[in-house]
Amino acid sequence: MSNAVEFHRVSRRFGAVTAVDDVSFSIAAGETVALLGPSGCGKTSILRVIAGFERPDHGTVSIGGRDVTALKPYERNVGLLFQHYALFPHMTVAENIAYGLRHRGADRREIPDRVEAMLALVRLQGFGSRRPHQLSGGQQQRVALARALATRPGLILLDEPLSALDAKLRQDLRAELKQVLAAVNSTAMVVTHDQEEAMSLGERVFLMQAGRIVQVGAPSDVYGRPGSRFAADFMGRTNWIEAQVTRRETGLARALSRSGLSLTVPDCPSDAIDICVRPENIILSAADDADQHGMANSAKGRILNVALLGSTRQILVEMAGGEQILVMQANRVGDGLGPGQAVTIGFPVDACITMPAGNPTGLAA
Amino acid sequence: MTGTAKRLGDRLLGGAMIAMLGLVLAFLVTPLLVTCLLAFDARSFLGPLPPPALSMRWFEKLVSLDYVTTGLATSLKIAVLTTSVDVFIGTAAAVALDRSNFPGRSLVMAVFLSPLIVPAVVIGFALLLFLSRIGIVDGFTRLLCGHIVITLPYVVRTVLASLSGRDRRLTEAALVLGATEHQAFWNITLPLIRSGMVTGAVFAFAVSLDDVAVSMFLTDPSTYTLPVALVSNMRASFDLTIAAAAVLLMAVSAVLIIVLERFVGFDRLLGQGLFRS
Repeated sequence: MSNAVEFHRVSRRFGAVTAVDDVSFSIAAGETVALLGPSGCGKTSILRVIAGFERPDHGTVSIGGRDVTALKPYERNVGLLFQHYALFPHMTVAENIAYGLRHRGADRREIPDRVEAMLALVRLQGFGSRRPHQLSGGQQQRVALARALATRPGLILLDEPLSALDAKLRQDLRAELKQVLAAVNSTAMVVTHDQEEAMSLGERVFLMQAGRIVQVGAPSDVYGRPGSRFAADFMGRTNWIEAQVTRRETGLARALSRSGLSLTVPDCPSDAIDICVRPENIILSAADDADQHGMANSAKGRILNVALLGSTRQILVEMAGGEQILVMQANRVGDGLGPGQAVTIGFPVDACITMPAGNPTGLAA
Repeated sequence: MTGTAKRLGDRLLGGAMIAMLGLVLAFLVTPLLVTCLLAFDARSFLGPLPPPALSMRWFEKLVSLDYVTTGLATSLKIAVLTTSVDVFIGTAAAVALDRSNFPGRSLVMAVFLSPLIVPAVVIGFALLLFLSRIGIVDGFTRLLCGHIVITLPYVVRTVLASLSGRDRRLTEAALVLGATEHQAFWNITLPLIRSGMVTGAVFAFAVSLDDVAVSMFLTDPSTYTLPVALVSNMRASFDLTIAAAAVLLMAVSAVLIIVLERFVGFDRLLGQGLFRS
């Protein structure tokens, strides 16, 4: 079976700005991909090129094996869930959902049944005669999803699908969105700047930066094995330790940080290295805890502050040499951790990601 | 400054604002009220207010005057025709201006809106010369042309405003759902700019009904609008029929607004905000 979406060397410029810079990728049929990147990285332009709102300056776009580069939006069958839903305000919910069916030549007698089925899919039975402004944000979002899926598009694009909702609702809808996408079994591309959304919805993550896709992989890979400082920072909070390799063993390197921490890390071809350690992979204990002695890397420090985030907390520790290390752990009641307390932190070798220093973007120099 | 002094300052400022509001309202409304009162004055001369007795005599005289009934009929015909043409041309022009992005766009827009700024006397005189040069000497056609020129900017402006206030993603949503650009315009854009079209039409109708300056140049002995007829006759013989005519025109406006409120709904007329997500 051919790929659901294929980009071949696509570029799109707006004046002096290259929004999409020679991008190639393919998405397998039935796959859900998250296109992730900071605002202005070109991800929205890619979405608009796929939907047919923008024509690429160079390159070709195929959907389901058909070259659609020069086709108008209505000549492709792509579903699009807009960031702010873009429901037609002068139509009822049912009319909104039926709009695509009417314009894609569905049998008129079948439209009401199909609308009902879509309402059921997004659990909004009985809302057909309401107007969009009578619905809550979450309900509007579900109507928009039903409208986008009603014509059974082979490909559905979701533009920041949850960013307009508040945090609690977002988590509920994320799960629901995932279920619905699985139920209709179509290829999906989620465009988002939120790495949580990307990791929870996408089977693969395409990480974008400055018009290019800089890393592709399963969410756990992109998070756990970032290819660049940019990737590591964008996927989540991280500690950076700048260090110099002093000795190499099989697959391992001994390194000395600027402030004098002695560390054992995975080997890296460069002598000047940046070490990335995710805050949740660091174990923190009282000053003279013997447990830490088994760790490949451990060091003593003092708590600067503790930020309570609910189920987790972030603890900022100042090491003896002056480095500040962020530790994230499950919030336990009453263990009395507080500023000023002497602690030991430790982390294993495989919690460290090493990369050559001085290549913050990861892009070819 | 102490807390009480600050509060006092605020309160004085608030009081001054309310007083100013009241003054402006009085300035706007009092002449209308006086006119209404005078229209029902039973005296045959302009006497001090309030009138000692009320009557319908000025209204009776008004409808008995040939020039008034003829003028009113012409005015209404011109206003209705002008408004219809305006809504059609004005909406088309606004949509074209909204879509296009050519270099002279702002110049074209300025030309469309220029009748709002160019003095009416200039427009009237220029039109008179131009129309007679191209052979249009019929009073009704001349008035119609003149009224379209002076009222078109209102429709163009209100439709442009509602076009720029609409959400362009709605059109994109329609396209991606399989509608052609043509269908998206009829199904999505047009219903969303309807309030702008209606507002523009109301303005166009009211301005057309009210115009004197341009119409003066374009009337002929047998075709004249009501305001022109009233102004001409006020000079010949001044009595209170003109107050009665003013009340009549006010009533037409009021009825127009009420009818619109029923048909379109005031929230749509004023509140395009409703239509943004």
